[in-house]
Amino acid sequence: MQPRGALDPSLRALLGTYSDSRAVESPASDIQEPAGSRLYDELLGDDRLPRAHWNHLLSELAALGPEILAARSEEVQSLLHENGVTFTPYDDDPGHVRSWQLDCLPWVISTEEWDILEQGLQQRSRLLARLLDDLYGDRQVIHEGLLPPELVYTHPGFLFAAADSARLIDQPLLIFHGSDVMRDAGGQWQVLADWSQSPSGVGYALENRITLARALPGLYRDAPLKRLAGFLQAQHRCLAGLAQGRHDNPNIVLLTPGPGSAGYFEHAWLANYMNISLVEGDDLVIREGHVSVRTLGGLDRVDVIMRQITDPWCDPLELRPDSLLGVPGLMQAARNGDVHIVNALGAGVLEHPALAAFLPALSQRLLGEELLLPCRETLWCGDPNALAVVRGSPDDWILRDITKPGKSFWVDQMGMEAARHLRVDLNIRPHLFAAQRRVKASATPGFNPQTREFEHQSVTLRFFSLLEPEDIDKPVNSRHYRIMPGGLAWVGEPGTPMMQSRIVKDIWVLAPVPQPHISMLRQAQGPILMTRDGKDLPCRVAENLFWMGRYGERLDIRARLLRESLSKLLQEDPQSDVATLLPDLMTALGVAPEPDELDKLLKKIEEHPRFSRLHVLARDRLLNLLSDRDPLGMPGVFASFVRNSRAVRDHLGDDSWRAISNIRQRCNAMGSTRGVVAGQRLLEALVIDLAAFFGLSNETMPHHYGWRFLDIGRFIERILATLELLKLALLTAQQPGIPLWEVVLSSTDNFTLYRRRFRSQLHPSAILDLLLFDETNPRSVGYMLKRLGRQVDRLPSQSGTSSYRNLENRLIIEATSALHLVDIETLAELEHSDAAREALTELLDAMIGPMAALSNAISHSHFSHVEAPRQLVTMQIVPGLDEGRAPVRGDRR
Amino acid sequence: MRYRIKHLTRYDYSGSAILSHNEARVLPRHLPWQQCVSSEWQISPAPVRLRERADFFGNRVAYFATESVHSNLEVVMCSEVITRPRPALDIFARITWEDAVSDMAQCLRTGNRECIEARLFVLESPFVRQQQSLSEYAMECFGTGRDLLDGLHALNQRIYEEFTYDPGVTTTATPIHEVLNNQRGVCQDFAHLMIGCLRSLGLPARYVSGYMETLPPVGQSKLLGADATHAWVAAYVPGWGWLELDPTNGCQPDERYVILGWGRDYADVTPLKGVMTGGGEHKLTVAVDVVPLDEDEVPEASFRFDD
Repeated sequence: MQPRGALDPSLRALLGTYSDSRAVESPASDIQEPAGSRLYDELLGDDRLPRAHWNHLLSELAALGPEILAARSEEVQSLLHENGVTFTPYDDDPGHVRSWQLDCLPWVISTEEWDILEQGLQQRSRLLARLLDDLYGDRQVIHEGLLPPELVYTHPGFLFAAADSARLIDQPLLIFHGSDVMRDAGGQWQVLADWSQSPSGVGYALENRITLARALPGLYRDAPLKRLAGFLQAQHRCLAGLAQGRHDNPNIVLLTPGPGSAGYFEHAWLANYMNISLVEGDDLVIREGHVSVRTLGGLDRVDVIMRQITDPWCDPLELRPDSLLGVPGLMQAARNGDVHIVNALGAGVLEHPALAAFLPALSQRLLGEELLLPCRETLWCGDPNALAVVRGSPDDWILRDITKPGKSFWVDQMGMEAARHLRVDLNIRPHLFAAQRRVKASATPGFNPQTREFEHQSVTLRFFSLLEPEDIDKPVNSRHYRIMPGGLAWVGEPGTPMMQSRIVKDIWVLAPVPQPHISMLRQAQGPILMTRDGKDLPCRVAENLFWMGRYGERLDIRARLLRESLSKLLQEDPQSDVATLLPDLMTALGVAPEPDELDKLLKKIEEHPRFSRLHVLARDRLLNLLSDRDPLGMPGVFASFVRNSRAVRDHLGDDSWRAISNIRQRCNAMGSTRGVVAGQRLLEALVIDLAAFFGLSNETMPHHYGWRFLDIGRFIERILATLELLKLALLTAQQPGIPLWEVVLSSTDNFTLYRRRFRSQLHPSAILDLLLFDETNPRSVGYMLKRLGRQVDRLPSQSGTSSYRNLENRLIIEATSALHLVDIETLAELEHSDAAREALTELLDAMIGPMAALSNAISHSHFSHVEAPRQLVTMQIVPGLDEGRAPVRGDRR
Repeated sequence: MRYRIKHLTRYDYSGSAILSHNEARVLPRHLPWQQCVSSEWQISPAPVRLRERADFFGNRVAYFATESVHSNLEVVMCSEVITRPRPALDIFARITWEDAVSDMAQCLRTGNRECIEARLFVLESPFVRQQQSLSEYAMECFGTGRDLLDGLHALNQRIYEEFTYDPGVTTTATPIHEVLNNQRGVCQDFAHLMIGCLRSLGLPARYVSGYMETLPPVGQSKLLGADATHAWVAAYVPGWGWLELDPTNGCQPDERYVILGWGRDYADVTPLKGVMTGGGEHKLTVAVDVVPLDEDEVPEASFRFDD
């Protein structure tokens, strides 16, 4: 520690210009501040020296020095990327996954200040909980005129369906929520917003902490900061507590809108961390009043749903009829107490943007307490006086449309036409608008790895609040909340949504004494000791794994074939169309032109001195596969692969996920490749990446049902591809012969094996022996059928222990018998004998048929066949009243 | 009056449905002037977990699921209802429509609880959106200083006279402005239109769903199954209460009207809603019989009240 008044030189280097500049550049700097005031600085006190609670951190960082810090920043970035810490907008384009930067420099708060802030946040939770109880109970605050009815009833988060009849279950409605807080330019706390439906950020906050602790182990090991691990454990206790009295071993699920939703990474992360099942609406069904997961072993009853779907989409019977994400009958099941939903449906009304204007009075009425933590100044335009203020100085305010959550208007940044519409709307329906005062945040330091210096940031903080697990059964006025001692900070002007920020930060709440580092090993502390990969595996997950296997294998097969095709493109005489393999290769890859169109297509191609027209056509079509997003192109197959793998994110290990990350990069790179050689090289690498992925899956996934479905998918795909390729090469090719057979062997990676075993010219009988009959060769159909048979035998049987063979078994036996019973003699002399060709055709078809049918049979026996629910009465959804777009369920195949 | 009501709703599907969750609002509401003395469900296939509750508006709503494979769903509600005259208007109902609007606007300050609760019914709702043409249409009946009741009756009469009852032209999704332009529709459209007109002035209005006994032509016996569900309007008169009006018939509902329930608009009181899995396309059949009974048939003592 240096004496006050002097900065350590290494620290001065790190701070750089931070301590010199007093004015902070920010886009909102035109907001008027009281004259003579100075921007509150989180780091520096009035004496322009670091505040005491930063000293520990600063001296540690100064010891590391800017160079090392910059290097660690980079490592943090790659750790985040590898772990797939991402969020996607509603968009299934795998190229569009966004990721943010994690600042090495946390946001720090002292123990004393935290105590005050924590009390304020706890009080806020109690207040919101009481308000929620009242709004869905007696509605005293409305009847007494404290909250205008038109303010409450117009918000899409207020569910009329949740407000009927007396409370059937006297359990807490608000379990967990998030609050966005900032320190304003004057140094005062202000609450910007509350998130009560599916507050995101806890998972990110923990993952950020884990990542930073890995990149900066020395700094984090002994830091005197409060640890986060206990919070999620408490959350699990809380969820389990809600199911108490029902089972010893409650079934808790996390309901996600699916891999297309923005927060999917976090949903999968949390499910994994708390060891609870990740389910989508499709996975759930309500029968006999119980909510159950459709699993391989049948219906598995659910006790508690931690939902990440916003209110209106949860039940198409009683809420938005156009929702495909929810579960019909869910509200009724909750109403009967058959399932507990966290937070209760209807909690979304607490996210109302105009509530802030009424909270001080509500706090007096409901708690009998002064509101400790002020909200950002908010006006409700339904009050004529408030409306006059907003009209008089629109540039000081952000307008929020109450019916459209998430929509904000900055009047000075709007076009003329849009502003006119807003004026008309504001005039006719003032009660649908809230105005929030624009605010400026205090200055926070951040580390810029480019300049290797501190820079000024404005930061919003999200804190999380949880009902004390021990208070669940207490009466409402003795329920207390705990605040996670940390959270997620993000950089941006106040009001910037978290997901739109580029930079996020860890939050350090300092502890009076150093805290032991609690290991946050995932799944280590899950109190439920049961597998999630046995019969209780959701059918949807089994289906995703199956298709992941099929698409992954398809990606591999096509990569190999395309690689061989590109090398033929380089080897063949580009001017001669005699004896070229290109037409057959195009057929194998599914991009051959129709025979009657070939001439027309060739004529369209310009004469080239060095390349034949056919060569140009083939080159064009083959290279196009590298960038084609259609189902045949590499990026297209990858998109299907990754869509299925994202849906089972919580079943894949971190290393597997890293391998997928590599595959993604490879496929993205292919899209911009133009050259044949570069393409070959990328395909080569892709084959290795895929081998790594499947190898890791075999090594790390428990060899249980999930893994079996993945494996079955792979081998069905591989058998079909092998059979089709043999059919082409030996029977239907335009240019059969050694060069084409070489391609078959190379693309199945059997060339070396062939050479070693036969030491001879390529011969069809030998190829058939190797690729059909040799059960020791993993690339042979014989081996693959055996493996499939073994896997299918071990799937959960639908009919119990009967000796009756199900369709899947019968199909495999059918194909296997065809292979075993064929008279090998009849296949001899394939090149000269029509009878032999006929026999081979018959044999191949006798296997292709059952294998193609096997995919459907498995799907029929094991996967859920959920049709989109239909409405009996088609209701009118008026555009404008709630324009929320219906998110779609990702189709899996 | 005493009525026996049989309300049948039947959906025939083109395919098989596996599972359906339903919500029915076909139980007559208990009111000071209306007693539902018996009600009996006939649901096929047999429902699982039939549960009755009161919704936000106090209407009786029943939830049930069907879990057997079925190709049609038939819901029959047989109820008996006794109706008495509705509360009579009195001097408290004398108010100009402008005063009524201002009472509504002031009530948060004055703390008038009834008015505060009625404010919900001034707001827009899914089927009733605010538009200029509605207030223009309404203003012709509500001149300066006009008595609220006179205005209400004038508007009720005007819609009755200017609009043609025509079941062929509208669907549940016909927007009000189209109804206003075409001057045709059914009871539901006229109710929505009148509600829209009143709300555009700042007056609370709600949608009432129920049945009406239709009198047979003289000399003919009453046709069974000819009746349908009916819809009308209730307008709020500050200081007095909710006044019912039937713009389809240009009259004020009396003992011949049986109330199922009310809400902001049709969406709140849909007689039968459901979500099913499978089923394909479906065809809807609705039949309602409202048969007047001799009131003396059953002694008063046998009345049963469910709440």
